[in-house]
Amino acid sequence: MVFRKDKARPFEGGGLVIFLDVQDAILAEKVVKKAGYAAKMVAPPPELRKGCDLALEVNLVEKPAIQRVLDEEDVGYVDLVPINTKMAELLDVVKVTNFGEWTMVKAGNMKLSFEKATGIIVNTSGGGCPDIPHLHAQMLDRKVTEAPWPKDIGFTLCALMLNRALEEAVHLWQERERS
Amino acid sequence: MMLLAGTVPVDGLPLTRGPVSREGQWLVIDGQRVVCTQGTAAMISAALAVTEYLHMGPPQALIVGDTGSGKGSREMYEYLVAQASQLSVDTLTLHYCLPDMGQTKRLCAALEKSKRRPVMIADAASMYAAKAAGLANAFDIFTPDASEMSFLADAEATHPAYIARHLFDADISRTPELVEAASRQKSTAKLMVVKGATDYIVSRSKIVAEVCEPDVPALEAIGGTGDTITGMLSALVTGGMAPVEAAVLAARANREAGRLSCVTPATRVWQMIEVFPQVLGRLSPNKSDCSGDFLKEDK
Repeated sequence: MVFRKDKARPFEGGGLVIFLDVQDAILAEKVVKKAGYAAKMVAPPPELRKGCDLALEVNLVEKPAIQRVLDEEDVGYVDLVPINTKMAELLDVVKVTNFGEWTMVKAGNMKLSFEKATGIIVNTSGGGCPDIPHLHAQMLDRKVTEAPWPKDIGFTLCALMLNRALEEAVHLWQERERS
Repeated sequence: MMLLAGTVPVDGLPLTRGPVSREGQWLVIDGQRVVCTQGTAAMISAALAVTEYLHMGPPQALIVGDTGSGKGSREMYEYLVAQASQLSVDTLTLHYCLPDMGQTKRLCAALEKSKRRPVMIADAASMYAAKAAGLANAFDIFTPDASEMSFLADAEATHPAYIARHLFDADISRTPELVEAASRQKSTAKLMVVKGATDYIVSRSKIVAEVCEPDVPALEAIGGTGDTITGMLSALVTGGMAPVEAAVLAARANREAGRLSCVTPATRVWQMIEVFPQVLGRLSPNKSDCSGDFLKEDK
């Protein structure tokens, strides 16, 4: 059976785009919704307010995709942050594991492994968002310096973590080439 | 019958439901062909290996194309919410998708109202959404890896990308304290398989089994090797095996498959899935192993 439907849906985001002025907020709502992302205008909590009384609630998981839309449409914004101000900062730490001929770099819930001799990406693992299997297919068998950046073609926080792993892999590979 | 639901990285593939069959390295669902790779397809392939071995009917799958935009994920949720009262499945496994707290709440509410609530299993972003929505306790089984266990233990995080650094730094040996923290915050499912160098089987927030042999460290690097545990576990539970036993068996079978196929970080998950029939033959699960089903008794 094949099904087709596209009903109106409820929305609960968890992320806020913060603006300096109202005009940017209004424009952002328009371009984000036009691009197909759920969004609603809300009042930001005082601790996140940066001059504008409006913020745009979006799905935090779609942070890289929404930032890309705003950047492409040249919409000014301060940041895209979690509504929950108690949440930790976006993870920026990596762990490196040596597997003999291969190196595995772990960033958050994402892992990327490459062959030490060639710099070829042999695997990515972890994550759970829908762009991850797509990125897996796009990155495998490519050299770390020639693979697409997940932040450029991915949509989600998992993609951002994979991007961080790739950054570290490129750094390790370039260090190895220099030595 | 089980229903395995998740997105696949095929642009434009419509929402499709049907029994799963195999053609070489392809999975076929209602005429739609999907290659076995990391994610939902690996999970389905592993479930199919078990159902074939146990001579059960094939799994039902609900798949939809989504390469990250979330459109397919939303269609999947909307279908499940609308069909909740008529799903007629014993087990519902939710897998790769764009995590959506609102839709997860609607789905759980709809399933609670249905006459026949299935055993509910969540892995990947479906598990992220369940925890973020405060609905982890509504699920029967979660299958987190070590970093996802840290996420479940973090009271504030709504995605593993935002876990506190001290939790990210935790190694698998700290699983017991992470389980305790997650349990305090009601972020655990009734049963959990925490996948890592040691696989911990957690029932009602207590570690009831550990699986650490054979030790195959390269499994962590291979995309899809956690998905296969979720698929096997779904099939074994649907077949009637007690969940703790099923969890131990799935964890062991995955490791054995890794050992048997001599995996390295460069191995593809389908290469491992190919040896599942052989591994299951060695471990010899059968329906007489069924000793009850506390998840169902609990409802």
